[in-house]
Amino acid sequence: MSNINRLRLADKVFFNSVRDSRFKTVKISANIIVPLSESTASENALLAGVVTRSCREYPDFTALSRKLSSLYGADLSVNVEKSGDRQIIIITASGLDDRYTLGGESVARELSLLLCSVIFEPNIVNDAFVPSEVEQERRQLIDVIDSEFNDKRIYAGSRLIQNMFSGEVFGTKRYGTAEKINEATPESLYETWRRLLKTATFELMYIGDSAPDKAVEVFKNAFGGVDRDPCEIKNTVFVPSGSVNRVTEEMEVSQSKLVMGFGTSTSALDSDSVAVSLMCAVLGGTASSKLFCNVREKQSLCYYCSSRVDRQKGILIVDSGVEGSNIEKAESGILKEIEDIKNGVITDFELDSAKMAVVNSFYSSNDTVSGIESWYSSQLFDERFKTIAERAEEINAVTKEEIIKAANKLTLDTIYVLKNR
Amino acid sequence: MNIQEIKSERVRDSYYKIKHSSGLTIYVYPKPGYRSAYAIIGTNYGSVNTCFSVDGGDKISVPDGIAHYLEHKLFESEEGDAFTRYAKTGASANAYTSFEKTCYLFSCTDRFEESLEILLDFVQEPYFTAETVAKEQGIIGQEIKMYDDSPDWRVMFNMLENMYLNHPVRIDIAGTVESIAGITAEKLYDCYNAFYNLNNMALCVAGNVTVDQVLAVCDKMLKPCEPHKITNYFEDEPAGIVNPYVEQSFPVLMPMFNLGFKEKPEQLDEKKLAQTDILLSMLASPTSELYRELMDENLINSSFSYELFEGPGYCSVIFGGESRAPKQVAEKIKQYISKVKTGGLDKEDFEIAKKSVYGDVVSSLNSVSSISNAIETYHFGGNEIFAYIDAVANAEFDDVTKRLAEMLDVNNCTLSVVKPEGAEV
Repeated sequence: MSNINRLRLADKVFFNSVRDSRFKTVKISANIIVPLSESTASENALLAGVVTRSCREYPDFTALSRKLSSLYGADLSVNVEKSGDRQIIIITASGLDDRYTLGGESVARELSLLLCSVIFEPNIVNDAFVPSEVEQERRQLIDVIDSEFNDKRIYAGSRLIQNMFSGEVFGTKRYGTAEKINEATPESLYETWRRLLKTATFELMYIGDSAPDKAVEVFKNAFGGVDRDPCEIKNTVFVPSGSVNRVTEEMEVSQSKLVMGFGTSTSALDSDSVAVSLMCAVLGGTASSKLFCNVREKQSLCYYCSSRVDRQKGILIVDSGVEGSNIEKAESGILKEIEDIKNGVITDFELDSAKMAVVNSFYSSNDTVSGIESWYSSQLFDERFKTIAERAEEINAVTKEEIIKAANKLTLDTIYVLKNR
Repeated sequence: MNIQEIKSERVRDSYYKIKHSSGLTIYVYPKPGYRSAYAIIGTNYGSVNTCFSVDGGDKISVPDGIAHYLEHKLFESEEGDAFTRYAKTGASANAYTSFEKTCYLFSCTDRFEESLEILLDFVQEPYFTAETVAKEQGIIGQEIKMYDDSPDWRVMFNMLENMYLNHPVRIDIAGTVESIAGITAEKLYDCYNAFYNLNNMALCVAGNVTVDQVLAVCDKMLKPCEPHKITNYFEDEPAGIVNPYVEQSFPVLMPMFNLGFKEKPEQLDEKKLAQTDILLSMLASPTSELYRELMDENLINSSFSYELFEGPGYCSVIFGGESRAPKQVAEKIKQYISKVKTGGLDKEDFEIAKKSVYGDVVSSLNSVSSISNAIETYHFGGNEIFAYIDAVANAEFDDVTKRLAEMLDVNNCTLSVVKPEGAEV
């Protein structure tokens, strides 16, 4: 594994760098981490869009896009994510490594400067963002929220979370709500920007061939001028309600969706969180998993039926697309596979193949820039960064008994069904 | 056996092309320092090949969706399915069928040779019985229904149906629940025997591998194949579109559109591909005047995209995305194209677009899956990826201008819209 080097630049501001000469690109991203909250999520998300569409130096979208394209199609993108009860705004600049430019230009240096500009020198006039820029991003963010409904698998997954976490922080969507997005003003966004610079935790990530010294300098100087007062960010593990909440919605669709949410009663920091991940792989994480082999292949009920774990929130989700008349059959089929794991009906083949698949995905991640980035960013809230070899060793050490134990801690909490009329 | 090294000084990579004695074309693209390897084998056979003959024999017509059905069934052998075999090596496997090809792939970080043996074994060992064929109806039926609910999929096929009168590219890759009901083991064997001849196939491996490693497995596993002549039959396709507009109501909040320009089908070489990619970037990428206009007037959002969509007997340029006013978007695009066709392209736009296209393709060489998939596509299109990269770097403004003149006829395009029930677009 390429080693990571972690530097502290300011209070809760860290610069993490991985040097790797195998890639033809360089990537620098800023993970801006704040507490997830219904009252601020929308403003934060909207701000992220506004700062990445222009800055003081490139004051409109076309000027910025042309700058990026002339840097060999460099990319400046923004993504808003949720990790447990945290909201993370990820602003990324990536482009061709200097070795491959046609005219010998230095893309890497320009990219660090550009990323710094959009974060620290946005397009601000009289303590407010430019109204037309805000309106553009507002419209587009509402489009993004509406378009979630277009994909019924994503929509069904999102409805499960809303129902499972109704009234809780984690029930807040990563972009917040259209209502709150509409309330934001160029002035309020300016306040939000100042608040983020002061209170958010910044985890900067650099993956490239050349030494990151220049990028470190650029960011160190930029943070030198900021009065920092970082806030505490807490995360809680999901506590199941004790009874199963069943929600069914009807719609004009061809295929019904079945989504089941379970609590794992395990936090990302617990030592048995590794066993929970592997249990999930045995259940429905691979093409040799129980759900794939039995619910899909043997019972021929669906095209997809899989499980995934959110280790930060301590939940496991199973989702499937089925014929409306087969919903009950699929539900009992899924529950039977979980019962089997609880009762120790796990073959050596199932256990070994799940281990191999997980370890294979670990090592494969080291061969892409985004894989390396997510390997480390997914561990930002752990005690320390572990290498692939360490985590592979942990996976391989999990016993059948530990898997059984992890399955027995599963509690079904919410079932969401999108039923075809 | 002929081993040819293909080298690029520009991107500092090289790979090997081998014509194996079995008839298979093999590409090996070693990536020093990588732990993973990615292998893909494909046949020059996709959803559009529904009527064909072998060595001048009888014309064979097969049900829509059969290439995709075959892809699912090839994973099964008498001893069990390939996923179970891969599970023992830890490889992650998959397959896909497109309009013009069918591919089987895996990626692994360990036990590469064993996984490659599995891949080469099952693609050469079809096993179709009435029972195994029947079992797949439920699974593929649900795959089809999943796509029926996908607005991006529907908006594209509605567009293709209204662009092509006869060409089978207008038909869903997976067919329909009705058409796949007519698939039998015998028909699957007909297709298999015609198209899964090693001379009609290509293997590409990239990553932590050497030529010797790959050839050792190939020598052991590949059964020599006599080349045969496959003839594909397509009904005559008129040059014009069928209908200029189609819409469908759908449970969506964001309407979506595809605006397709019907182009003359031709085999595009690397230079023409490069010119087209630069041209489309100049016209519609986020740096373009058109994009800015559409954005400023709140007509599109960042989902806006464009592509050159081409294969045997079909070629089109598709602009698509989400919009609350798709008809206005289509009008603006057509107006803009007419404007640059008379007023000419901008030289600075060209320089920017060229760098952007160049950066994108060179960046794609980071990933073993991108490399292998691209080489496979270039192989069946009769092209070579480093030649394409050189063509981008050496592209001339005048050639791109000429390319524009022969493309994008604003009187030969069709707009497809998927919209919420009752919405005016």
